Amino acid sequence: MERITTLMTSQATVYDLGQALDRLNTTQAQLSSGKRITQPSDDPYGTMLAMQLNGQLSSLTSYNSNVNDGTAFTQATDSSLMDMNNVVQRVRELVVQAANGTNNQSNLDADAQEVDQLTEAIKQSANATYDGQYIFSGTANVMPYQSATGDVYQGNSGAGAAITRQIGPGATNSVQINTDISQLLGSGQTSPGVGDGKLLDVLRQVSADMTSGNSNALGTDLNNLDSNISVLQGLQSTVGATEDRLQLASSRIQDLQLSTTQNLSNDQDVDMGQAAINFSTEEAAYTAALQASAKIVQSSLLNFLQ
Amino acid sequence: MTISTFMGLETSLRGLEAMQEAIDTTGHNIANANTPGYSRQVVDLTESPALTIPANSNVDGAGVQLGTGVDATTIERIRNTFLDGQYRAQNSAENNAQTQSTILNQIQTGLSEPSSNGLSASLSQFWGAWSDLVNDPTNPGARQTVINDGQTLAQTFNTIDQQLTTIQTQVGQQYSQLLGPSGQVQSDANQIANLNQAISSAQAAGQNPNDLLDQRDQLIDDLSSLANVSVSTQTNGMVNIVFGDQNPATPLVQGTTVNMPQPQDLTSAAGGQIGALLGLYDQATGTGSIQTSYRDSLDKVATEVMNNVNSAYNPTNDPTVPSFFIDDPTSTPAASIAVNPLVTSANLRTSTTANPGATDIATAIANLAGGQADQDYGTFVAQVGSDAQSAQNNQQTAQSLLNAIQNQRESVSGVSLDEEMTNLISYQRAYQASSRMMTTIDSMLDTLINHTGTVGL
Repeated sequence: MERITTLMTSQATVYDLGQALDRLNTTQAQLSSGKRITQPSDDPYGTMLAMQLNGQLSSLTSYNSNVNDGTAFTQATDSSLMDMNNVVQRVRELVVQAANGTNNQSNLDADAQEVDQLTEAIKQSANATYDGQYIFSGTANVMPYQSATGDVYQGNSGAGAAITRQIGPGATNSVQINTDISQLLGSGQTSPGVGDGKLLDVLRQVSADMTSGNSNALGTDLNNLDSNISVLQGLQSTVGATEDRLQLASSRIQDLQLSTTQNLSNDQDVDMGQAAINFSTEEAAYTAALQASAKIVQSSLLNFLQ
Repeated sequence: MTISTFMGLETSLRGLEAMQEAIDTTGHNIANANTPGYSRQVVDLTESPALTIPANSNVDGAGVQLGTGVDATTIERIRNTFLDGQYRAQNSAENNAQTQSTILNQIQTGLSEPSSNGLSASLSQFWGAWSDLVNDPTNPGARQTVINDGQTLAQTFNTIDQQLTTIQTQVGQQYSQLLGPSGQVQSDANQIANLNQAISSAQAAGQNPNDLLDQRDQLIDDLSSLANVSVSTQTNGMVNIVFGDQNPATPLVQGTTVNMPQPQDLTSAAGGQIGALLGLYDQATGTGSIQTSYRDSLDKVATEVMNNVNSAYNPTNDPTVPSFFIDDPTSTPAASIAVNPLVTSANLRTSTTANPGATDIATAIANLAGGQADQDYGTFVAQVGSDAQSAQNNQQTAQSLLNAIQNQRESVSGVSLDEEMTNLISYQRAYQASSRMMTTIDSMLDTLINHTGTVGL
């Protein structure tokens, strides 16, 4: 039989009580912080995962705000294009009436004046801003149609003019949110009768033809106007499609945020029920150990010698 | 030949003396019940040489050997040197793991991961600031935020590197303290050399210097916490001690001489606290895992952040554009990374073109989120974490092995008060009985001397 000595008992008691208290302490720290991982050594892989998931959540937050910003931008674009469409439809009514040849010249002059006003209204819509940025100037961020420069488009076009929003990782998730308005409005007329055939040019021609009472030319203008209206509708449907894409991205991002948050919670949060059970088990064990040690260490042969 | 009249008195006296010695030893044991390193002592009792009574000199004529009582030959300490060796090996391992665990804990606490204020959070925040800038490239607030978050990120790198440097310095200081002229190694070695002298003199005089041996064993135990020790006992009772992985030809303690190890003598293979310290940082060579595993990894992450951001910030390598991040080439990247003071909210580039609404640069930098730098930092943290975890596990394993061996050692050498009390009772009773024996002989002699030859008086 192994010889048991006083010091052995007390050393073992101290060590075991220390271990029990340590376990209790760990569980208590988990319960009070709610975290299973409080430092990397608790679970090195879990820590790396938590950091990755936190990074993903942060990216998702960025994508979400990009989507929100992009949606607001495209909505502003959409409503400007809608305004233009209303205006153009009004011009078309006037042109149809004028082309009938039933209006007298004074009526035509009044119509021409209205068309001029409506042209200004279209330019005003094209000068719309969102959050201080001109939405139709490409990336140049200037007022696209200024009174000083007539009908000449001041923004930029082409590859460098795209304003994009990143709605997910990678190049495929980069969405262009701005619309090149110069492909609809063009740069007006350089001199009477000489223009690019785009909307502003056609409107100027309509006004001129009304003033001159040339109903035949107005018929041609109506055709030109219609082809520009279809360009406008094309732009509107593109913007609508972009809005839809952003909408879809938004709900996808929200789903991802939810699942990533859940993954993160599974990874780093403590299972409260399990921890509570562990805590009471460990507490009971610790209390029992304390009671037992208090009794055992107290007594020796000395208690019973006379 | 007849038996001496007073022989019984001598026998009783021997009994009294032996029991007194045993009781005194019991007292010594009880007094030292809690002395660290104490081994219980027992008195070796043997029969004293018998008195030979030849044939025909006795009443019945046959020869006898008449017992003459007891001799207390030696006082022995009860100790198992095999367990001492095991204890010291395990003590080295436990202290090695303990030291590693403590320092790695400091390192991982300094990283404060996973949390919302570690480097990974700073990185996310920095990428997020660029992403916000894409949405509003001309907003001065968004532009300033990018610069501020860049500065926060750079400072977080600087702080972590600073902490690692501080820990390295502390490790170096601990090592120098332990091996310094007034350090524990020198002091233990000197005491052992002195004890070697005293023990060898005592043994030459035929004594058993139990308490000196205990003290020397205790000092060797103490040394074993600092590094592995290999003990060889000489015939004169002295011990030679090879410390750590020093050259066995010049042991730390060689009889009464002390050979302090030179800096190049010890490496991380020394074991114990010193081996752990040298493994983490070796001042002499400037190597160690803090440098090669942690600071170099952190530098790698800092370099990746700096290079990736700078090349995205200036994709055309335009020499007139100031870099976004700069570092001090005479220092390390993590220690010196900073946002270039030439970059301001006004001249911050969001695009390679002059168009104020263009954001190709900002988009490219925002897209670095979750890239190489974040991944390598994650790997670095996982590395620190698993190193700390394995040190903790090693420490726990070594601790329980150490406890087991210590228990065995205690079981052999420790003082049991119950046992000592029992011994005390039996020795006391024997002492009382010897006294009674003496009284009995005294009264026999009284009868013989005072009452013989008085018939009829």
